[in-house]
Amino acid sequence: MSDKVLLEVKDLKKDFGDHQVLKGISTQISQGEVVAIIGPSGCGKSTFLRSLNLLEVPTGGSVVFEGKEITAPGTDVDKIRQKIGMVFQQFNLFNNLSIQDNITLAPVKLGLMGKEEAEKKARELLERVGLPSKANAYPAMLSGGQKQRIAIARSLAMNPDVMLFDEPTSALDPEMVGEVLELMKELAADGMTMVVVTHEMGFAREVATRVLFIDEGVIREENTPQEFFDHPKNQRLQEFLSKVL
Amino acid sequence: MQDFINEFTVNFIDDHRYRYITEGFVNTLIISFFAVLVGVAIGFLVAIIRSNHEKTGHMKIANFICQVYLTVMRGTPTMLQLLIIYYVVFMSVNVPKVFVAVVAFGLNSGAYVAEIVRSGIMSVDEGQSEAGRSLGLNYRQTMQYIVIPQAFKNVLPALGNEFIVLLKETSISGYIGLTDLTHGGDIIRGITFSAFMPLIAVALIYLLMVTGLSWCVNKLERRLRVNER
Repeated sequence: MSDKVLLEVKDLKKDFGDHQVLKGISTQISQGEVVAIIGPSGCGKSTFLRSLNLLEVPTGGSVVFEGKEITAPGTDVDKIRQKIGMVFQQFNLFNNLSIQDNITLAPVKLGLMGKEEAEKKARELLERVGLPSKANAYPAMLSGGQKQRIAIARSLAMNPDVMLFDEPTSALDPEMVGEVLELMKELAADGMTMVVVTHEMGFAREVATRVLFIDEGVIREENTPQEFFDHPKNQRLQEFLSKVL
Repeated sequence: MQDFINEFTVNFIDDHRYRYITEGFVNTLIISFFAVLVGVAIGFLVAIIRSNHEKTGHMKIANFICQVYLTVMRGTPTMLQLLIIYYVVFMSVNVPKVFVAVVAFGLNSGAYVAEIVRSGIMSVDEGQSEAGRSLGLNYRQTMQYIVIPQAFKNVLPALGNEFIVLLKETSISGYIGLTDLTHGGDIIRGITFSAFMPLIAVALIYLLMVTGLSWCVNKLERRLRVNER
């Protein structure tokens, strides 16, 4: 882990009408960090994650990615998103495209790779996520766990500098959770910077370098996994952990 | 049997009267084909503008124009639109009647296609376009490669239905003195004073055309669904 700050979030706020979901969140994410975000449902953790690549447009505060304020008006958001991978709870594979095309679409259409280069990369990535035989399959033919591994491969095809995971295992059958978490562990071990909203406390404890507890739109506690789980200081966190552990 | 042959001869063979039918058939085909193209082009454009406006709040003026267009086209009878376009809009310019019919039916169909396609765009899960955008694809690319292909597949049955309606609706072209299939049959009826043979013949031809069209749409639908197991 280096000290190079990739993402800097300052006083991030988000309202949906009268409902304030994020009430001012500030944190920094450095290169190589694996940050797990946990919290009760509806606490704003997904909204926070989605604000990092502007899928949700914040109503206040700023997000700086690699020195560039992406929340500033006039920023080329599409360009920045190329470097911020995202993995969704519902996988969101492109249903109309084969697995290979799912992976190659963005690099090819954005002119980052030629078709052949992208296809070669897709084969490598499919190998890496353990699904080399699925290149010509379609999303509807895959299990949830397979879909999520493909979604990760699709994201990796863009060579992102950071990857955001929005509850990547919450929509999976229990027996498929393991294969996805295993892959994420490998990514972390390879040095990928990751921000993971999750309910998998085991993963947070084992893989994360830092854990955030978000509740009612603010970060209540932020610590190393050991301290976070073994000596939680915030009372809401203590209550939360006593329910989920 | 002899009666039948006589009737047939009088209605179709004498004076080459079958030509009213063939000419009408060709005109109906031309009008339907190009009106479908016009309708689909307008429909997709309007649908994209409207759904973009719904999602982002942009394109206010374009959306307003689309709203007015939809209201007028869906709120007035097709026949009246045809008459107005022929006698009012193109009053002082000399253009072929077939062209007038293509414009009228294309504009009319576009309004229905627009709403069909818009429902298709809305039927595609928001996560699909979020995934596209999260990879760095822009709005246009996301629509073009991800959302529209899925929307199109979802609405193909409804679109096929609209094409059938359009094909049959061209039968009012006679009101601007255009010899379409229906009008052609009716001309024969007017000459021979026998209604059964020409009108039933025309009906059968429509039936065949619609059957063929449905078959094509079904085939396309099946082909697009192969990747859904």
